[in-house]
Amino acid sequence: MFKRCKCIVFFLSLLATPTMVGAEYGDVLINNYSDAAGMRPVVFPHWFHRIRFRCKVCHADLGFKMEAGGNQINMLKIIDGEYCGACHNGEVAWSVENCDVCHTGKAGQPTQVHQSTASKLTTTTKRKQTESVQ
Amino acid sequence: MIRQYKLIGNPGASQFQVTGLIFLVLYSVATVQAAEEVRSGKQVYDAFCGACHTAGVLQAPRLGNQEDWRAREKQGLEVLLSHALKGFKNMPAKGGNPTIKDEEIRNAVVYMLVSSGFDQYADKSATGEEDKKKTDTVVTEKKAPVRKQLASSANQFNRLMKSSSDWNLPPDKDGIHDPETPGTLLLQAPRVAFDSLSKAKSGNRVDWVKALEAGEISPRYERLNDDAKPVVMDLNIVREVKGSMPDVVYPHKQHTEWLDCSNCHPAIFIPQKGANQISMASILLGQKCGVCHGKVAFPVSECRKCHSKQKTAATEANQQGN
Repeated sequence: MFKRCKCIVFFLSLLATPTMVGAEYGDVLINNYSDAAGMRPVVFPHWFHRIRFRCKVCHADLGFKMEAGGNQINMLKIIDGEYCGACHNGEVAWSVENCDVCHTGKAGQPTQVHQSTASKLTTTTKRKQTESVQ
Repeated sequence: MIRQYKLIGNPGASQFQVTGLIFLVLYSVATVQAAEEVRSGKQVYDAFCGACHTAGVLQAPRLGNQEDWRAREKQGLEVLLSHALKGFKNMPAKGGNPTIKDEEIRNAVVYMLVSSGFDQYADKSATGEEDKKKTDTVVTEKKAPVRKQLASSANQFNRLMKSSSDWNLPPDKDGIHDPETPGTLLLQAPRVAFDSLSKAKSGNRVDWVKALEAGEISPRYERLNDDAKPVVMDLNIVREVKGSMPDVVYPHKQHTEWLDCSNCHPAIFIPQKGANQISMASILLGQKCGVCHGKVAFPVSECRKCHSKQKTAATEANQQGN
């Protein structure tokens, strides 16, 4: 009985591990095309950008949809001055040759807004389902 | 050295020298007294060192983490001290702040060692008697939580709440960045940026609205224009809600400081009274207010920030009647 409890506790701690990432609130992991192209996925730090720009600049003027992975951004659009490329052009912010400053994510992660309420709730549900299967 | 610095730093000093020796002597005594207020290790740590040594920015050994310090401690206090004073690898000289006094740096190094479990340094800190006392109290203060941490691993299980040491982790420790790529090490650690911003209880632990109001940050409203001012609309919308929760007051003002009308209207909210069905369930799942709140704007755990208007007795009676 005691052993079984120990097993369950161990199993729960394993399940809990993936959600215990310490990503900053609002960090967006973008992996629409990166994994397939053999690049690390992009981590977009909302906090760093909102210190410098108000939401309006990207989400109204530059047309970023407020949805993780909803913008189908690729490098061609960026070098043509769309999306990130509107600023990351060597004039407003550093330019595109610094590939690995954006492409810093660990490979294989899904596109998502980190620490979001919705993702926490859905992860909890998934975990409960797995537990009940046990 | 301190005296020289003070004299050079003060444009009035040369006048004193010209005016007469007596004044110079008086002045020097006064400045030295002021300058000799050596801060305790904890004070220095909290003000400067903590920005990196709490979270371990750029592999800085973390306070309270004996493993981080073990190999360093073996080199001896004087080596550590000289690294802290002159800089070593990622550690800038005096943490990048040359105004900190040498004794204060010593106190901070000793404070970090003692707090990380190396009690033998407890009496190595201070230069003055007074400071010794200060450090001693700090040491006893700090010892307690360290011991507690070691003794109570069973108490650490808490699936839904992170401890404060896990907030605002540096990129190479946050679990989503790849610590193997050099780009990760170029990124700013959130804690460093947030240090001077108004604090909040959730989200980034930064109160962004307050930070903007207080001028702690000045984000651009236009991509290329530093001086563009936002088109602010000062209009509160009150939404009466079911149940016992206070009604919601939606302030256009704080929202239009950051956003454009087109960000919300008409796709998320139809700009017409009574046209929008909003529920907490939809917000929690990322709809309506939840498009931002719970993702990047303050999270939904801050109930009272929205539910801020006490219901009138009449509406309450009316609702009970229903």
